[in-house]
Amino acid sequence: MSTQSQVVELRDVHMQFEEKKVLDGLSLTVKPQERLVIMGQSGSGKSTILRLILGTLPPTVGSIFFKGSEINRLLRQKLQEVRRHIGMVYQYSALLSSRTVRDNVALPLEELTDKSREEIDKVVDEKLELVGMEDSKDLLPEELSGGMKKRVALARCLVLEPELLLLDEPSAGLDPVIASVIDELIISLSEKSKVTSITVTHEMESAFRIATRLAMLYQGKIIEEAEPEEFKQSKDPVVAQFLSGSTEGPILEGSLDAITKK
Amino acid sequence: MANAESPVLVAQGIGHLSRNFLREVSSVFWFIVNTFQETLERMQQGRVPFRATSFFRHSQRAGVDSVPLVGLVSFFLGLTMALLTGYQLQRFGTERLIPGLVAIGFTRELGPLLTGIMVAARIGAAFTAELGTMQVSEEVEAIESMGIGPLRFLVAPRMLALILLMPCLSTASNIAAILASSLVCKAYFSIAFPYFLDLVKDSLLIRDIVTGIFKSFLFGLLIAAIACYRGLTVKGGAAGVGTSTTSSVVTAITTVIGFDTLYNIIYTNFYPI
Repeated sequence: MSTQSQVVELRDVHMQFEEKKVLDGLSLTVKPQERLVIMGQSGSGKSTILRLILGTLPPTVGSIFFKGSEINRLLRQKLQEVRRHIGMVYQYSALLSSRTVRDNVALPLEELTDKSREEIDKVVDEKLELVGMEDSKDLLPEELSGGMKKRVALARCLVLEPELLLLDEPSAGLDPVIASVIDELIISLSEKSKVTSITVTHEMESAFRIATRLAMLYQGKIIEEAEPEEFKQSKDPVVAQFLSGSTEGPILEGSLDAITKK
Repeated sequence: MANAESPVLVAQGIGHLSRNFLREVSSVFWFIVNTFQETLERMQQGRVPFRATSFFRHSQRAGVDSVPLVGLVSFFLGLTMALLTGYQLQRFGTERLIPGLVAIGFTRELGPLLTGIMVAARIGAAFTAELGTMQVSEEVEAIESMGIGPLRFLVAPRMLALILLMPCLSTASNIAAILASSLVCKAYFSIAFPYFLDLVKDSLLIRDIVTGIFKSFLFGLLIAAIACYRGLTVKGGAAGVGTSTTSSVVTAITTVIGFDTLYNIIYTNFYPI
């Protein structure tokens, strides 16, 4: 059993989609109030980790724990209860396109709590104000820009006061000011409301601003895990290349020759 | 020229097809079971499984809005049926059998069947496309990730709406067809409306009506289950939604006709007329 002191624990997780091996014996722990940022190349399986924690995807092998309960062994009803404590912001926001912003944000409250209409409206207003979207309440998702959608998605996952926040590329596609606002919000949530968060991103600036700890995912494993300052100094050639964005190094080795030849 | 392996390949092909068929059948069966389970679990917690507005919205679309189409098609078919059979029966002087023939034919068989086919094409396609689009844009996963059961939230109201509205629609179909045949009887075969009604009442048995209603419930469940299942299992973006929608309509229509035949075989074996 996992210890209760850890919010999330992944133990020797393997994940394979048909022929493609995505995670290869990945282990990871996240402590309360921590803000972990997972970095890695596109398609390296970062989003898969978030889906595994939510239990929307079963691992091929391995165990995933959320506050001591093993996610991949829970029965449906119990799993649904656990998920209420986890908030997920998807890369493409995943707002319900037929509902207005207000209805999207109100959905978890309407479905999962006994709150009255007035109480729901109050919480919705409060959360929309938090992300600066209070003026767009009556708009449909198709009328919003990508960044606005992402903020609404964040408001939606905050209404149930989650203990764990999973963010898939929260600041991708946002202008620098709004990106900073979102980053500040994630930091203040963990400091004031004791929310733990796992963020997946490859936006360096945002990653170093948010993180209390960074992890580098490469070839299905966490190859480096450290606090921001230490992470920057990492001797690992993959991490060093990733941080510098250089084309010289182990990442792309072989494939780069193929690209230049073309 | 056939090569030496061809019988093996044919057998293999048949094997693959049967395996896929059985897999699909069991998937739809468990899909229905899981939807019921999820809905019941929710009710056991003392909560409404889905909002009434959601149910009424689907009922409006699936039921009320389908009445003109179902009514019109059934009206034309009733007209044709009365006309064609009437001319044949007239040769033997038995035109008075037309009302009973149309009434029994529609209440037992054609009403539910025609309605099933039209609803599968009109509403089944809509359900699949709608849920399929939600699936590819990660909306279904987002609902699931909030701790809301997608089967209960998305499928149950659609399924209930179709199950409850199908009998109403086949009744509308029966009425339209009988009305049409009464017009033909009056115009071509000099059967006045009161006499027409008497003949219908004399020939129609309660069990014909019950059979028709039961079939409609069954078809409603099947169409909704197939359409929603196909929608929630869409893969491959916009093209996938298109493929699944086509497949949903084809499967639903074939299943409705298949079940109808099966039902008739079993029924006539146990209760020969």
